[in-house]
Amino acid sequence: MGFSSVRQRLFILPALLLSLGLLAGCSGQGAQTPATATSSPGTRKININSAILSELDKIEGQIGIPSLSNRIQAARPYASPEELVSKKILTQEQFDRVKDQVSVEDVELVGEAKDIDFMTKLGLMRGHLLVAKEWLDRKQPTLALPHIGHPIEEIYVDLEGQLDERKVKPFKAALQKLQVQAQFSANSPELTTTYAEAIQGIDSAMATLPNTQRKDPRFILGVISEMLDAAGTEYGAAISNGKVSARIEYEDSRGFVLYAQQLFAEIAPILIKSDAPRVKAIRESLNKLQTAWPAIEAPATPVMSVDQVRTAIKSVELTGQKVASF
Amino acid sequence: MVQKRIYQRRDLIRLGLLGGAGVGAGIALPQLVRYFQAQSIDIPTTTDAPPISGMNPMTILRDFDRGTVKQENGRTVREFRIEATTSTLQLNSAVNFVSWNFNGRVPGPTIRVNAGDRVRVIFLNRGGHAHSMHFHGVHAAAMDGIRPIRNGTATIYEFDAEPYGMHVYHCHVSPVARHIGKGLYGAFIIDPPGGRPPADEMVMVMGGFDINEDGKNELYAFNGIPNYYLEHPIRIRQNQLVRLYLLNMVELDPVLTFHLHANIFRLFRTGRSLQPDEESDVVTMGTAERHILEFSYALLGRYMFHPHQDVIAEKGCMGHFDVVDSTGRTGDAGSHAH
Repeated sequence: MGFSSVRQRLFILPALLLSLGLLAGCSGQGAQTPATATSSPGTRKININSAILSELDKIEGQIGIPSLSNRIQAARPYASPEELVSKKILTQEQFDRVKDQVSVEDVELVGEAKDIDFMTKLGLMRGHLLVAKEWLDRKQPTLALPHIGHPIEEIYVDLEGQLDERKVKPFKAALQKLQVQAQFSANSPELTTTYAEAIQGIDSAMATLPNTQRKDPRFILGVISEMLDAAGTEYGAAISNGKVSARIEYEDSRGFVLYAQQLFAEIAPILIKSDAPRVKAIRESLNKLQTAWPAIEAPATPVMSVDQVRTAIKSVELTGQKVASF
Repeated sequence: MVQKRIYQRRDLIRLGLLGGAGVGAGIALPQLVRYFQAQSIDIPTTTDAPPISGMNPMTILRDFDRGTVKQENGRTVREFRIEATTSTLQLNSAVNFVSWNFNGRVPGPTIRVNAGDRVRVIFLNRGGHAHSMHFHGVHAAAMDGIRPIRNGTATIYEFDAEPYGMHVYHCHVSPVARHIGKGLYGAFIIDPPGGRPPADEMVMVMGGFDINEDGKNELYAFNGIPNYYLEHPIRIRQNQLVRLYLLNMVELDPVLTFHLHANIFRLFRTGRSLQPDEESDVVTMGTAERHILEFSYALLGRYMFHPHQDVIAEKGCMGHFDVVDSTGRTGDAGSHAH
């Protein structure tokens, strides 16, 4: 009896130490914890473990090493910022120049990086729903279901926290309605309306971003880079032993590239006035990339290898970055 | 009673509240005894247990990852690096299964720490989809591993290992049954202060594979590969204590049992006690339920273990123990009986 009470008291101490540690050492562990939200925007750091490319580009710009952002991304994970040096991404001297700006704590994105991330996630949803539609049109609602589910299960949860501040009308219910109808009443004519409502929900979320961003080729190219990055990894997950072994991942990547094409089609007329050669280069790379997904039905043997797809993606990204530097 | 007093002292020492040679000498003896006892554990060598698809269930069986130990601010920190990946598992001669997993193996690494250690898991997702690591046990909400970690990004989970017992970690991204069914799970053992008595310790995780994504499992396995221990029996020493850390991670079937042939095991539910809760030869386990089982065999020979849902057992969830004497012989089952 005396034993248990002593133990209980002893356990309070570690709990206290834990909470102190959380506040002092690793407050950033929770992007969810309010403690992180108090730092002023000027002192916000870039989380090298999770930052999107366009955010890492700020470091790249300061150090002046081409494609440093990609190298930082490829050498993840980092237990501490100093691992940028031990993993030979930066020299000690280069690291010292940026060390106040990098972190491994989960810091909320701010500014343009946050907006690109927001738009990308909505774009991924649109990509999922594009391929869902292809299956629905073929009267294959069961095959469409994973692509209706992913936006709810994997992506919406990531956006939920910023819907209020962006004054976005929540659209989870519209996605869920589509999911339920595809599952239980796919033959109902109402499905078409429900699909349109889901798309409408995503589009009105995008519309909360200012026009200056949504019509800005530089901004949209940032989004396209992120979308293609996601497509490349899904494609890599789809192929094994020279075959398309994971159908869902093949279809995911198809959807992401299709939507990236749509985004590009919207900015190309604007961009062509200032930079026609690069518009042509990006369009050619995208079209070449698109051949990897000849149809919603995965080909028996992949049209392009994973490496070929990655190379084509890289070429779009690099040209896009050059546009961005103007 | 004596044992309980030792644990109290150890707690105090762990927290740095007590020091001095007197106390140090007080715990040195049991530590020393335990050390020499541990040296006496004699694990029979196994030959002819080949790896399959780059992982070896016979190695996974007794492989405990205790992390990289660091001392920070007077505390023991155990650091683990876990990567979510995809890889193809050859489940049998006809079935290749694209698994999603931690560190290229199903189940993922058996993470093992001491109660009160600081656990730091540096998690990188290279699995294509968003994934996460959700640990069972006690921790702050921010460390609960519910938030999806995007492909290509990393996060750091950090918490104190409490309470001691047999726990589990798994991906908690929805649909969870698919992420778990694909292989994103592993055992998480927190040793009690002072540890448990020496034994031949092993981990078995029961998993199910829905190979055609029809919402039903077609194949099952202990430690990733169906029928591996049936074809490559686990050799254990006669009369030597075996401590089995057992976890049921089969999704889509609500419940499995675990049955041990020709024996009675002592059961430590969720590993939450140092005294057995009961004895049996069958224990019922829902998904994510896990226990510690202790037993030894007095008689040489070959003994089966399997869930007693025999249809499930016959779809890959069966194994053998070969009980061998000090020279490594199983003898003829029966003729060595005495």
